Amino acid sequence: MNREILIIGGGPAGLECANSLISLGYKVFIVEKSAEPGGHLRKWDRLFPYGASASETLEKLLQQSNKALFFYETEVKSIKKSDGVFIATLSDETQLHVGSIVVATGFSLFPAAKKEEYGYGIYNGVITNADLEDAFKTGKKEFFKANRVGFVHCVGSRDEKVCNRHCSKVCCVTAVKQACEFKDLNPEAEVYCFYMDLRMFGRGYEDLYLKAQNKYGIRFIRGRVSEVAEDVDGCLVLKAEDTLTSRPLKVTLDLLVLMSGISKNPDNDEIALMLGIDTDEDGFLSLCEPNLNNNKTQVEGVFLTGSVTGPKTLPETLNEARAAALAVHKYLSR
Amino acid sequence: MKEFGYSLSPSSRVDLDKVDKSKQNRLFALEPGFKKCMSCGSCSATCSAGNYTDVSLRRAISYIQNGQDQLAVNMLRNCMLCGKCLIICPRGINTRNLIRNILNVYGEKQI
Amino acid sequence: MRERFLFGYDPFVLPFTLGMVFIVLYLLIGSIRIIIALDKQERMLLLKSMNPRQLIITAKDVFVDCLLHIKIFKRNLLLGYMHFSIAFGWFMIILVGHLEVILYTPQRNGVLYYPVFFRYFVMETQQTLRGAFFFFLMDLFLLMILSGIALAIFKRFRSMALGMRRTTKLKLGDRFALYSLWAIFPLRLLAESFTANISGGSFLTKSINHLVHGFVTNPDNALPIWWSYSIALGVFLFSLPFSRYMHIPTEIILIFLRNAGIKATSFRNGYAESEIYSCSRCGICIDACPMGVNRGDIKFSSVYTIRLLRRREDPSEGAEKCLMCNKCVEVCPVGINSTRLKLLYRQSINDSGQHNFSYLSTIKERESYGKVLYYAGCMTHLTPVIYRSLFNILDKAGVDYTFMDKDGSVCCGRPLMLSGDMKGARELIENNKRVIKASGCKTLLLSCPICYKIFKEEYQLDGIEVVHHSVFINKLLKSGQIKIKKGIETYVYHDPCELGRGTGIYEQPRELLSVAGTLKESPEERGESICCGGSLGSLTMPADKRRKITEHSLDILNTNNPDIVATACPLCMRTFSPLNYKSETADIAQIISKNLI
Repeated sequence: MNREILIIGGGPAGLECANSLISLGYKVFIVEKSAEPGGHLRKWDRLFPYGASASETLEKLLQQSNKALFFYETEVKSIKKSDGVFIATLSDETQLHVGSIVVATGFSLFPAAKKEEYGYGIYNGVITNADLEDAFKTGKKEFFKANRVGFVHCVGSRDEKVCNRHCSKVCCVTAVKQACEFKDLNPEAEVYCFYMDLRMFGRGYEDLYLKAQNKYGIRFIRGRVSEVAEDVDGCLVLKAEDTLTSRPLKVTLDLLVLMSGISKNPDNDEIALMLGIDTDEDGFLSLCEPNLNNNKTQVEGVFLTGSVTGPKTLPETLNEARAAALAVHKYLSR
Repeated sequence: MKEFGYSLSPSSRVDLDKVDKSKQNRLFALEPGFKKCMSCGSCSATCSAGNYTDVSLRRAISYIQNGQDQLAVNMLRNCMLCGKCLIICPRGINTRNLIRNILNVYGEKQI
Repeated sequence: MRERFLFGYDPFVLPFTLGMVFIVLYLLIGSIRIIIALDKQERMLLLKSMNPRQLIITAKDVFVDCLLHIKIFKRNLLLGYMHFSIAFGWFMIILVGHLEVILYTPQRNGVLYYPVFFRYFVMETQQTLRGAFFFFLMDLFLLMILSGIALAIFKRFRSMALGMRRTTKLKLGDRFALYSLWAIFPLRLLAESFTANISGGSFLTKSINHLVHGFVTNPDNALPIWWSYSIALGVFLFSLPFSRYMHIPTEIILIFLRNAGIKATSFRNGYAESEIYSCSRCGICIDACPMGVNRGDIKFSSVYTIRLLRRREDPSEGAEKCLMCNKCVEVCPVGINSTRLKLLYRQSINDSGQHNFSYLSTIKERESYGKVLYYAGCMTHLTPVIYRSLFNILDKAGVDYTFMDKDGSVCCGRPLMLSGDMKGARELIENNKRVIKASGCKTLLLSCPICYKIFKEEYQLDGIEVVHHSVFINKLLKSGQIKIKKGIETYVYHDPCELGRGTGIYEQPRELLSVAGTLKESPEERGESICCGGSLGSLTMPADKRRKITEHSLDILNTNNPDIVATACPLCMRTFSPLNYKSETADIAQIISKNLI
């Protein structure tokens, strides 16, 4: 029996899956497209809802997975299956013979420039959640001088015009988290959140929302921002409807943060083709028994984990990664 | 800058740039629950006076936040202070005190 | 017995005498100010009350309340004895002192200081039985006071032993008065003992004299002690108006005014002033106040709000936070209606008429179908189980009734009234009155004590009986219109503030519960019942503090592990039910409806 496993993707899902497999006694190869492991987690500063440090969290994931064999800046070129063994050819021409494959290729952040009306890349004051997170991480001070700040929820989510009908699940609480953090750095700032629905489903999220209102005085306005213009002073003039009072509304801001949602990984189609599995209408990979099993595909020995199958929070991703490891173990012990 | 070209009729448009924040802060000091509203609408739904006339604390809070004080005051003057909204509010806002203080801070007497 | 000095005077009497003159003048001016502040009608009431019959009643009240302190005895024996021994003992010493002067030195009768310092000025020429009797009495009452003072000092350190968890924090004036009061009687004992070999004495003074004699050969050395005694009295009398002990004289004025049927009409003059000055700051209301479970809110209990009023400082925080549950009024040994004072204060700042109820005129009157008109009120609409259970009982009893506010209520006006807006409340009252009167009903049935109180007190619905559902159901039971089976459940009854202390209904709901099951006792019930925390009386109390009060109230109610905490108020039920984890919460109608045969 082949006790070697290939994990495609070295983000939190791939790392945690490797951890579990290693402790079950398997040999793990991780193929990672970029130069470092950690995926989006590496770019983040603090995690919702309790404000844990992202780098410390990643550090813990890496500590345990160092027994895996990493291939950085490498992609999988082709996969063949013969006699229950997968033969994967990597971009550096390495050939791996493995008993099972776990796909953990994650998501990509919605490119905010596609929402032309918000002027990302055109107006200086318009940034994304990732830009703000980077500023938190690197201590880039210029953003925090802004005294009037807006957060636009659902940028690239719940929007068929950009082919994302789905809810990205994590942006609501991320916006609330970032708004609070912004107020910590600039207590004088007026902060507005423009939302369609506030989906505070997770443990501790509602508390964070209450704190944002009560302690930080963040104003939540129910209504989708329609357009952003720049006035003569270079400030942003934003239009929306306050749907709760049914009034059109206008506000001038210094900084606008777009909550880019979770989109499919653009490589998904290629991976699906290579492995012989399906994709959903929105491009995320399909599970064959979505209610019963979070990891199972129609190809035996190929498992999915993390946000490659749809938007997920970090704890959900890690749970799925551990479940995937067990699924692999069950498959190989049959 | 001079307004030029087409514009919304000024009465219906909310301009958050022109909201008097000092009064809002006073209101907040008098009733800290003011900021906790999540616009669920329970207060308006249960309102005794709401059976007969237009009262909605939920909307009044938004009006105040949007700087449309008089809309809020005119509506809340209909309130009988019966306390049903106090009992029903899922966020535990002291609604009666909020209503009283909106009338005090923004009303004619402006205590 | 004869006088030692020709003029019957010594300079040491001055501190006391000046103090006495000061306080008498102060009281005189104060009383005149109070009387001036009364309106014409009230002054007529006061004048009318000056008849012999009324005076006897007042004298009795003064004796019972100010000297015997029966109300405090009922609260705690030791605490009662402490107050009684000092007040009654002191009064008897003054009385017997005057008798001595009248009997032995009649020429000095009327000299202000003479009875106080009698034993300094006289010399015992021969021992008589009568003299020994008086001396014995004086020593006995002095001993009684001293025991009271000892308890008072003990209470400063261990108030719990006298049944008080918390006592009032003292201000400077209080300290002067308190410490001089503590000093007066030990000094009197010493002074009288020093001269007991000349003036004579009894078991206390004579015995101490024998002891002291060993140390002091010359009895003239006693003079400094007499000075100290007089100074202590002087300090006490001068600090009296600036201290809590002002209640000693003011309470008498208060009893006069109260017995004349006068009530407070403003929070700061006339009757209110006499109430404010009568507060002894004993602090009994501190333990009683439900707000006390939130430690930071102890400062809002009635005693401190009244003190702010007396010092002419801003009482608004306490006055607006108060739940108006009336427990402090119930336990106050002086009978101060502090809730009314707070309400009057609220009126003075909130009676603004900012509300606009013109829309009410569109409400149409309807004729009632039965003789009984049921008004659920705002709160019962949030507890449908109450009116549905009540209707079940009414149907079973064959009572024809009409549901007046089925499609929504116009508030009874009590919450607005509690906020201080009498004008707005009046508008709501008039509207409801119009609709009720047009209905042609004979009985107005209510399930909410908040409504019940205002309908009873302010509506004046001539010819229409206003009745709370607990009383109505009780009547149905007694007249045999309904029958109830005895269940196995045990109940504790929570007295809603507005129903118990508010309108005096304690027994009817309890009778019903005893028939439907077993009624257990709660450690604090009837007049002592603790507010559920939901009260609309408080304007500014935030939800988290209300919750603490609710939890405390439930803890007390669940002391004897009942199956069900029963109440007769939709607001109490709505407040208790989500937090009562130890038992069920139910309304009296719900329980009876379930046990109907």
